[in-house]
Amino acid sequence: MKQFLILAALVLVAACSTSVKRIDPQETTDLSGAWNDSDSRLVAEEMISDALSRPWIQNYRQQHNESPAVIVGTVRNLSHEHINTNTFVADMERALINSGSVDFVASKTEREEIRDERIDQDLNASEATRNAAGQELGADFMLQGQINTIVDVEGKKQVRYYQVDLTLISLADNRKVWLGQKKIKKFIKNASVRF
Amino acid sequence: MVPSTGIVRWLYSCLFALTLGGCSSWEINELANNLPAAGPAATLKHLEARSNKGLDRVQVLLDKGVLKFYTGDLDGAIADLELAKSLMQSLDATSFTENIAAVTTNETLRSYKGSATDHTMVHVILALAYLFNNDLNGARVEMLQADLTMKRQSQQDSLQGQLASARFLAGVIFELNQEYSDALIAYRHAYQILTHRGESIPQALQVMLLRLTQRLGLESEFDEFQRQFGASEPPYQRHKIDYLMVYFDGVVSNKTEARLSVASGNTMVSIAVPSYPSNRYYPKRFSLQSETGRHTSQIIENLELRAREDLEADKVKIVATATARAVAKNQFVQNSQEQSPWLGLLANVITVVSEQADIRSWNMLPSAIQVARLSTQPNTELSIPEQGIQLPPINSESLSHTSNLVVIWTSDLVTQSYIYPVNSPPPMGAFNANQP
Repeated sequence: MKQFLILAALVLVAACSTSVKRIDPQETTDLSGAWNDSDSRLVAEEMISDALSRPWIQNYRQQHNESPAVIVGTVRNLSHEHINTNTFVADMERALINSGSVDFVASKTEREEIRDERIDQDLNASEATRNAAGQELGADFMLQGQINTIVDVEGKKQVRYYQVDLTLISLADNRKVWLGQKKIKKFIKNASVRF
Repeated sequence: MVPSTGIVRWLYSCLFALTLGGCSSWEINELANNLPAAGPAATLKHLEARSNKGLDRVQVLLDKGVLKFYTGDLDGAIADLELAKSLMQSLDATSFTENIAAVTTNETLRSYKGSATDHTMVHVILALAYLFNNDLNGARVEMLQADLTMKRQSQQDSLQGQLASARFLAGVIFELNQEYSDALIAYRHAYQILTHRGESIPQALQVMLLRLTQRLGLESEFDEFQRQFGASEPPYQRHKIDYLMVYFDGVVSNKTEARLSVASGNTMVSIAVPSYPSNRYYPKRFSLQSETGRHTSQIIENLELRAREDLEADKVKIVATATARAVAKNQFVQNSQEQSPWLGLLANVITVVSEQADIRSWNMLPSAIQVARLSTQPNTELSIPEQGIQLPPINSESLSHTSNLVVIWTSDLVTQSYIYPVNSPPPMGAFNANQP
């Protein structure tokens, strides 16, 4: 009996203590059913790969003899969840840059910091190492988008439908050259009982 | 036969632990009672000193969240309320151990998981916190979640958890996002809830309904609302700025304990259930004043009534559990008496003392949410005279990215106010975007 009690106490102590286990960032871990890092990464990779396989990129190369320069604009969160769109934008930037098919332009906030640095270089850097203003690469296309959701709830069951829409717009003439759409549907069943 | 000292010690320990649990509820209720006098900052300080764990965790987080909102710590309020919200969702599942404890000991041994109103109100306070933290998208997310929460809670012929204030705020947030169709749908919901409850439609909601039906070209609906509200003022004027004041009035009542004790032979049987004192809420009004007019706030959500309705709806379950508990405790005392009269007496004392009503609630919410609306020409000076707050003139350029709607929040518990959009000039005594 005594041994059983000691064992039970040990099990209880183990259950109450904090445990940390490192997992592969590529591994999909669904806890609550909400939008997570895997959704963000997979949607970004699939959509960018779709965008880069469409005719707009070839058409641009034929006309201009160079790779198009792309910038990622705003991705609006119109969903039912507090989604950090910054990670999604970062995932798209990574997929775009790593493709090597397009030139990639720094975002608005990044550009401001770089311009400040250039102004500082103007005053403090040597003539040989100074980078001149007015030499920036202007973007040819801007990628914008939104994340929408439709949620259907009944008791402890829930169906969450995510739709990510991305649009690539030509900065020269506002033409939409690519429309991408990715859908994710999740069925979530919350626990009915707990200890 | 005299019981062994081990058993007696164990029974005393139980008694002590149970009494502590009860004390904690009374202590938080006392803090809520003193909130109008002590103010949110001092009350928050007391609450911060408490442990953030245990069965009252959700209640403490909700109370801390709303106090942080009052004191201008919007990031802190968002963190606490988001945590409370996710805990409330996970506590929705039925607990075996807590049910057993509630049937054998008392209801305070269940984790506090919030009333139907709490589940919706957490979205309302969060939406306001996000909005005044200059995160309109965050506020919009909360209102979408509030819609889901209210749909989940809606039952046939019951308005439990359905809050006109949440629908109204959703309309305001959709309007700020220039989503006028969604805004109208949300205002219609608010109107329907108030009508079903037989409560009056505040002038601010009347104008919002008229304005949007006119703007969206829904002529017959516009005519119907105009006939009902008897409105004379043209509801939508493109170049005017609309000020909407959301005013939190007072502090909602605490639950108290109603106890019934009956002596049966050598045994005392006691049943304790929560109740509310009679509603003595007397609304205090704030107003928006310009040189051309003054609009006084009107109630859109009477939280005193909502709290009582929630308790009433749970009463059958509470009384059934209390009855089952009385039977179980009586059996325990009888069994103890058979072993020894002393043990029986001690067991009876414990069963009586351990009988405590669950008087926990989100008790730092206001008694009522009131709204007032005033439409003025740009660059008009505006004030909230009851608080001595002067709102500097706002021009249309300050509102270029939103609709021509300015939202102000204030309460009789604080001397400051929030304003959105935050790039419009702040009122005297206003909180900054993030900090007081």
